[in-house]
Amino acid sequence: MDFGLTDEHELLLDSLRELLERECPESYIAELDRTHQAPMSFRRALHEAGFASLGFPEEYGGTPCDAVTLMLLTERVAQQGLNNGYGMELLQAMDILEFGSEDQKAEILGLLATGDVPFALGFTEPGAGSDNSAMTTTAVHHDGIVTFNGTKTLITNALDAKYLLVMAKSSDRGDDSRSAISMYLVPMDAPGVSTNPLEKIVWYTNDSCEIFLDDVTVPETCLVGVRGNGFRQLMRNLDLERLVIAATCLGLAQCAFDDAATYATQRVQFGKPIGSFQLIQLKLTDMAIKLENMRNFVYKTSWMVDQGIPLRSQGALCKRYVAMAAFEVADEAMQIFGGIGVNAQTRVSRLWRDLRGHRFGGGTDEIMVHIAGRQILREHR
Amino acid sequence: MTIVVAYKWAPNPQDAAVRSDGTVDFTRAKSTISEYDPVAFELARRVADSTGAQVVGVTVGDASIDTSLARKAALSRGLDRLVIVADDRLAGADSTRIAAVLATVVRWIGDVDLVLAGESSVDVTEGQVAMTLAGQLGWLGLNAVSSVSASDGGYAIERDVPSGTVSMVVTGPAVLAASADAVLPRVPGMKDILGAAKKPVEVLSLDTLDVPSAQVTLTTVSTSRPAAGNRHRVIIDGSDPTAAAAELVGALRAAKVL
Repeated sequence: MDFGLTDEHELLLDSLRELLERECPESYIAELDRTHQAPMSFRRALHEAGFASLGFPEEYGGTPCDAVTLMLLTERVAQQGLNNGYGMELLQAMDILEFGSEDQKAEILGLLATGDVPFALGFTEPGAGSDNSAMTTTAVHHDGIVTFNGTKTLITNALDAKYLLVMAKSSDRGDDSRSAISMYLVPMDAPGVSTNPLEKIVWYTNDSCEIFLDDVTVPETCLVGVRGNGFRQLMRNLDLERLVIAATCLGLAQCAFDDAATYATQRVQFGKPIGSFQLIQLKLTDMAIKLENMRNFVYKTSWMVDQGIPLRSQGALCKRYVAMAAFEVADEAMQIFGGIGVNAQTRVSRLWRDLRGHRFGGGTDEIMVHIAGRQILREHR
Repeated sequence: MTIVVAYKWAPNPQDAAVRSDGTVDFTRAKSTISEYDPVAFELARRVADSTGAQVVGVTVGDASIDTSLARKAALSRGLDRLVIVADDRLAGADSTRIAAVLATVVRWIGDVDLVLAGESSVDVTEGQVAMTLAGQLGWLGLNAVSSVSASDGGYAIERDVPSGTVSMVVTGPAVLAASADAVLPRVPGMKDILGAAKKPVEVLSLDTLDVPSAQVTLTTVSTSRPAAGNRHRVIIDGSDPTAAAAELVGALRAAKVL
């Protein structure tokens, strides 16, 4: 079993390292975090260097890429200390590239090309988080137009996005099931769309908003894919989303670990570096074990995707374990830093906050149990 | 018309360690394209794109410089083809010997009217190979080059010198050593890296090249670190920032730094 990187992996990571040094140093990330800004210039640099179109089909100007390579890049960007810095745009684009009309594809790819955020995913509602079939946002089709009414919440990147990928229930379906859900690409500047930014303690480089849809009326061409098939369309890329989140968590955790291990060699107390104390060494050892486990989990799952092996519960297991273990690593890293760790200017405090968010972003720890648990039982009947 | 980029496959300084005697230990460092060479690749590619010239990479050294990774690393930086001389008899070769082999390869390639190189290698840092190569070829040699572009019958070149910038036009073949900040090299993307494996590579045997024998042997007798300087080891209590700042300023004035 060869765990080594190919020449192409090494060269690609080397190129990414160069790009990160130039365009995404820690001072840049810290300033974005402090001012709650998105990494727009870095996104543009990623696109200009060709990284942003990796994984897209060639006919849309992309370079086909396997999941292992994509996760290596996602991990490396996160290891720089930047949360959600790579991979999310690919996921967004795939939803449209697979199910959208040619006009929708052209529009979304054009926005990606300029480093813009093409759309925010309008899924979660105040009464529909993990229980997404409980959503109440409606989409009424009439006379070639669609009218939306409802409220979405905790929508990431809503302030920067040009569109909202609205998941809504078509009114004439008459039932509450997921088969009533359709997917629509709605301009954020359409009359009736309003946003309310939410003040949160995680993910300062990604805004989160409430979005209110009050009689928002747009042409029926905003439908993405097949009416009533919205939930199934969204699920198509969910395993990939979980993998990207896991790779992000892995990178952030590695960053926290490296900072803590370095600090342990430098911080002197009682006349010795604190790294010489066994309790600190115990923490570092257990953190290293978790990182190794996380890495194996992420890349085994990526390999399964590349081999076409059905993931079944693997994606959910991976996301649950990695999100939780990564936060534990960051928490121990903060403990090693002691009082300095809770200083808002330290990187470890940012990593700790950002990793906490991944325990519910993209599916909570608990919903991953729900997904994986049922699958495990099915396999053992 | 052919442009040659002479580069080195050298230890990555990020992997280097500093020994207790102050010398740098590269033995555990992975190799990569020497840190100052990508500038030469970028300048060559830009000139070639404007003139239709071919860009050929050339590197010489011991056998370890010829690996799949080393080839792709170079070819992904805008080369059209690559020529390598990899022979353990070149391990530790001095800059004159390296330049002699490079000169032979440049003549072998033929139709070359421009050679670009980095200002020095990241590990040896002598900064001599490019100008020695020019001498070996009997060509004009210029270092500290910050800009080069095609001009009527030759090249327009700018050099950064202590007194400012000198602009000149050169006709005839030249070897140019690019300054480290001459241009921001592009970052190889996936397409460049995937395309690298398909580009031609020629490996030349040192025995088949007509390299003049070395006239002089060079033996390093010893190395020593620079003098440590006179450290005053003054520690200032920072609990009162205003008082600490005043004390620091006073200490710097006493040391004639301010």
